[in-house]
Parts: sequence; C-alpha cells; structure tokens
Amino acid sequence: MSRFNALDGTTSAARVAVVAAGMVSPLGFGLEETLVSLRRATDCVAPVTQFDVTNCRCKTAAQIPDQRLLAGGPNGRKSARLHRASHLMIRALEELVQEDPQFKPELTVIGTTSGGMSFGQDYYRALNRRRSLRHSPEWIANYPPQKPVLDAQEEFGISAPCFVIANACASGTNAIGHAFECVRSGKHKRILTGGYDALSELVFVGFDSLQAATPEKCRPFDRDRSGMVLGEGAAVLALEDLHAARDRGAKILAEIIGYGISTDNHHLTQPDPSGSGPRRAMSDAVKNARISPDNVDYINAHGTATFFNDAAEGKAIRELFQCVPVSSTKSMIGHSLGAAGAIEAVICLLALQSQFLPPNINFRAPDPDLALNIVANESREAKIDIVLSNSFGFGGTNASIVIGKAPP
Amino acid sequence: MSLSIAGMGWITPLGRGVDAVWQRLLGGEEATAQSISSAQNKKTYSGFLVPNEALKDLPPHPRLRRASSISRYAVAAGLDAIASARLGTLKLDMNRLALVFAASNGGVNYTKRFYHGIMESGAQSASPLLFPETVFNAPASHLAAILGINGASYTIVGDGAVGILAIKMASELLQNQSLDCCLIVAAEEADWVLCDAYRKWRLLKARPPIEPFNTPPRGTIFSEGAGALLLTRAGAVKIDAIHAGGNFSHQRNASEIVEWILHDLRDDNACIITSANGTFVDLAEAAAIAGQSPGSMVYSPKQALGESVGASALWQVIAAAQALINKRLPRMVRAPAHAGLRFPDGSNGEVDQNALVLSCGLNQQAAGLRLSI
Repeated sequence: MSRFNALDGTTSAARVAVVAAGMVSPLGFGLEETLVSLRRATDCVAPVTQFDVTNCRCKTAAQIPDQRLLAGGPNGRKSARLHRASHLMIRALEELVQEDPQFKPELTVIGTTSGGMSFGQDYYRALNRRRSLRHSPEWIANYPPQKPVLDAQEEFGISAPCFVIANACASGTNAIGHAFECVRSGKHKRILTGGYDALSELVFVGFDSLQAATPEKCRPFDRDRSGMVLGEGAAVLALEDLHAARDRGAKILAEIIGYGISTDNHHLTQPDPSGSGPRRAMSDAVKNARISPDNVDYINAHGTATFFNDAAEGKAIRELFQCVPVSSTKSMIGHSLGAAGAIEAVICLLALQSQFLPPNINFRAPDPDLALNIVANESREAKIDIVLSNSFGFGGTNASIVIGKAPP
Repeated sequence: MSLSIAGMGWITPLGRGVDAVWQRLLGGEEATAQSISSAQNKKTYSGFLVPNEALKDLPPHPRLRRASSISRYAVAAGLDAIASARLGTLKLDMNRLALVFAASNGGVNYTKRFYHGIMESGAQSASPLLFPETVFNAPASHLAAILGINGASYTIVGDGAVGILAIKMASELLQNQSLDCCLIVAAEEADWVLCDAYRKWRLLKARPPIEPFNTPPRGTIFSEGAGALLLTRAGAVKIDAIHAGGNFSHQRNASEIVEWILHDLRDDNACIITSANGTFVDLAEAAAIAGQSPGSMVYSPKQALGESVGASALWQVIAAAQALINKRLPRMVRAPAHAGLRFPDGSNGEVDQNALVLSCGLNQQAAGLRLSI
C-alpha cells in the first residue's frame, strides 16, 4: 500500500489483527516480564528519584530504572543525546521488531502528552540561570514530540510517515483507535501504533498543583481513593489487515474489533459527573465492534483514582454493563499519560492470551456509590474472549477500544 | 471519496480574514516585524505577530477567559471557517462534525510561565490555573466546547508538515459515513523562548526580510496565527491527493523526500505553493522542483507571513485555494533570478486549475497535497 492517498479508492470493512507488540513499563522490559509482574500484582510505585519533589504533596511515581533503560538501545554519543522518551520508544519497538521482523508499516500513529518535555525544562532552566547552553542544540532538536518516534523508527530502518496524537491522557488509546479505523477502512494494510511518555518535573508538579496526585497509595475505585500517581513507559502494537497477516503467515496475537471516541465539553480538566462522555465512548466502541455490552468479559478501566474521574467512569460502567470484572492497572504502574492507553492495550492482550484478569491493587473498601465488580488486589484466572480498555483525558477526550481473542 | 474545502479561516500577522489577507498578499505587502523581548536573557528577537484587533470580536465564552494566545487564534480561525461555510448552502450538524487540531510547539507561553513559577517560587506555588492550558489539546478542547462538538476531536503535533498530516487524518475520518465534515485548525503562538531556540538552531535571522530561495539561506522570521479548513465531500476546491510523505534524518536528505512527494503528485500545469522560508528547506524544495517540475510557477506565502511552523502548512493550503479561486498568484518580491525557478512577478501569475502544496518542516517531516478547482 502506498503512502500516496489518491482519495478515489473504495472502502471495505477489513478485520484488524495485532501481529506483534512491544512494551517497557515499570512492570518490566517486554511482555514476558510484564506478565509475571501482573500476575504477582507488583506495586511499582516508589519515591521519585529523577528530580526533586521536596515541595510537592505527592512524592512517589512508578519509574523505569535508568541503568537498565540506558543499557540497551543505541550506543555511544548518539545514545547520550537522545531523550529518555526515545530510549523508551526504542526498547518497545525493539521487542516488536524481534517478534515480527517482516512487519513493515505504511504509517505510524503514536500517542504522547509531553514529548521531550524535560529537555525543554533543561533549556529554559539553563537560559534563566545563565548556565552553560553547550547542550542546547541537542535539547532543542530532541524536544519535539515526533522525535522519539522518529528516533525509534530510524533505529530499526522504518521510514513510515509519523502521526503523533496528543489528546492528553487518552492519546495512546486514540492512536490505536485511529490506526484501527485506518486499517479497517481498507485504506492501509499495516500500521504501527502505540504511545509513550517519560516522567518530567513540569508534568509531575502540574498534577500535584491540581491536587490530582496523591501523597498516599493509588487506590482506584476505592471508597477512600485520594488521587493518582504518575508513571512512564512506552508500548507499541503492530496492526495488520487480518487476511494480509494470514497470507504472510504472521502470528495473530489478538484482534481489535471496536473503537469509540467522544468529547466531553464540561470542563478542561474535570469530567461531566454524569459520566456521559465515558459512557458514549464505551457505548460507541461496543456498537462499533457489533457486540452487546454483555459480551464484554473484562474492562481495563482508565481508573486514575481521582475522586471525580473514577466516579464518572464507574457510573458509566455500571449503567452500560452487567457486573463485568473491572480493574485499573494504574494501581500498579501509575498513570503514564500518553503511553497509558497503549500499555493497557498490551496488558489486555496478555490477559486474553493467558486467560486471567489483571488486578486492581491497594483496594481496601468498595465505593458504595459505584458498586463495581473490582478485581481486587490479586489477579484472577478467567475465561475471557472480549475486553474493553478505557482512556480519558484533559480537554474532555474519551476513548475506548474493544479487543478480542486471536481468531482461530 | 472526494474531499473538498467548504470553508476557510485565516489569522495572520497581516490580519484576519481569508479575503483581507489575500488582498494584502496580492498587493505585495509583508508583515511588519515586532520586537519580542526576554527579561531572562535581555535579548530581543524579531517576530511577525498577530495584531491585537484581529481578535477583538471573539465571543465572550467562559472557556476563553484564561485561554492562551494559541487557543484564541485557533478559536478565531475555526469560527471563521464555520461561518464562511455557512454563507454557502452547507447545513452543519455538530454531531456529524469531527475536529482535528494541529500544532507544533503548542502553548509555549503558559508552559514557560508555569515552569518559571516552579523555578522561582518552588513546586508548592505552581499555578493550577496555568497547568491545564499547557496541554497540547487545550485549544481543541476550547474550540470543541464553543462549537458543541461532542464526537471525534484529535490534536496532532509535528513540525511544519503537520497541517498536511491533519488533512490526511481528516480524509481518513471522513471515510466514516457518520461524519459529514471535518474542521481542521492549525495554530502557533510566538514567544521569545521559541525565537531563542530557533535562533540557536541557526534557523532564524535577526531581522526581516525573509529571502526565499536565496543561496546560501540566511534564515527565517518566526510568526504566529492560525488557519482553518472545513472539509466536506463536495465543494468548489477539491483536494485530489494527499501525500503523507516521510521523514528525513538530516537536513541534507530533505530534498530526497520532497522530490519523491513531488514526483508522486506531479502535475505540469499546476502551480506549486512551497514552504520556502529562507532556511535549508528552500534548497531542498528548489532541487526537487528543478528536477521534477521545472516549468511550474512557484510561490511561498512565508516571504510575507513568516514561519508559523504548526500553522504554516494550512496557510499554504489556504493560499493555494485562494490562487485557484482568484486565478492568480501574488508576486514573489524577493525571489532571486539565480534560483532557476519560475516565480510570479505580477505579469505572469495566472493560475490554471491545479495547485500543489509542498510542506517541508524544520524538524524531519515532509508532506504534500494536490488541489484543483
């Protein structure tokens, strides 16, 4: 398929397979480590080490160890110039490429919220404090949000045009959803999709200033939830027309079957308490998948553990679904913003492959106003065929995707 | 599927309004540079800024009370595109309209102020009012709230080519028959910190004029504003083809990508609206045009309007559409004869039925499209 879109082609509803995935998150490097950590219900949240948080209310985050992150990927001077986000993307894409070296994407659609933000901070701090600007060309060149994606593509000889979606915390799910629509429309055969974000001081302090971040444990959907913790990571998925994938003998890991997107105009940072935005995204995703809500066996919730977000999402889930098991894996790995939707999609993929429900840890007491079937504290074995993953963000962006088990 | 432009909005340093800005371009006007000063490093930069009166009739919506300049430009351009489409026969249903917002640097002014507060006074006094406005999709959120869009809304980020990628994205969204149209808005705001960064990157010059296609390139002038297109499936100006292009790892490789785009889109009768801005981009585009389409008339709106990065590709598309509608191109006042290209000089600027837009960004992305009337 050419990158040249003549706008005169016919469209057809193709089925969309996930043929490979790669991920780095606080749960581990790669899908195998991630699966072990998920089953163990690992709490990856620890005191922040990347910058000073003395004056913040929240002092914890889920971080990826530098030593291990920087040990892989490109070597030498190039490696030192790259932003942490580029290293995250390179490690995630490395796994995908190893899994399916034949996968050659026509487009790349990746989500992020903050790009190379910490380089922007370094630059501004150096300007303001009249410190050395010797590194400023590197900071400036590696700051744009498309740069980590281009760095990762270049590392593995991929030259696909790059679409970077910045729909705040829904970016990763929006990227996967848009990539899914592009393949399903018949316009494209193969798209690389996913999301990334690295922890940065500006964003950390931002959430702290809003009092959205908690000084305590992250307890999504708990009666006593007090806020989110931040995380970081990257995840990528290779989406391919199912027939094309089968024709070349690719391994099918799962099938994306539905996508819903909505915009909630209530407030820039808070959801409509009625849950109408999340409800519409989920409802549209289920309709788009041509299934009934009863067919959904598990929901990986957005579940940030902020009072208003969990209340709106919980209300929408309760209204749409009958007692479906729900968990927020952010309880283990924090909220990785633009990467969250992609990481959670890969977690869903692992859940479908290994037939278990990932846990919602730190859960102590159910919220009587929500009455959800929470997968509390421990993972559960379960027969699951179809799962739904939610991401909601600032600006009122809501996105849901529906993922099915690999077709026989 | 056909894709057409049903409405346009344009906020530039030469003022607001598609026809008003176009007339000033035809008149040979160039934006006047203003000083952008930095209290931090005591330096002054030249920039082309949107005049204050351009935003005076924005609606008094609560969402705009604290909104950044980039949000205001985006809202103004978006509302103008909707209004111009409504002047025709088009009936708009906001439930069947998608929004794609494109930017490069986003809300830099508020981001800088927010971080400055952290540096000077500590994290405990960081402003919860500023932080939400620093997020890339804040302008799209405000515009969606003002227009009542509750369906698909995407913000995409990239370099100067991001506007073309936004149109490509809109073309994919309109594959969905539940949508009638897509509003694309691209915006950028100027700030001294951006000028400083682009200067250190050796892309900016100290003062105007911008001299497109000069050899060696002497640099560009940063500018700000927004452009908006309302795309539908039927209309007078058609988008025949979109090329999502590719990425160049070094500036010296840009011409290969641009030449490939031009080869795929080539139409010998079309004029070419380039992104030439006084930087390495000009060399890449000149080489590609000389190789693929040496007879085409070449125009760059950036000589008059400056380099608005995230907004720039949509400005080029608007200029191309205006050239097709009005059957002529403005003069390329400062284009040198030695460039070996054909430039409109006031006597030869007639335009036929087709136009190409080439967009080569400053940070590794390039794309293009073809329009007809």
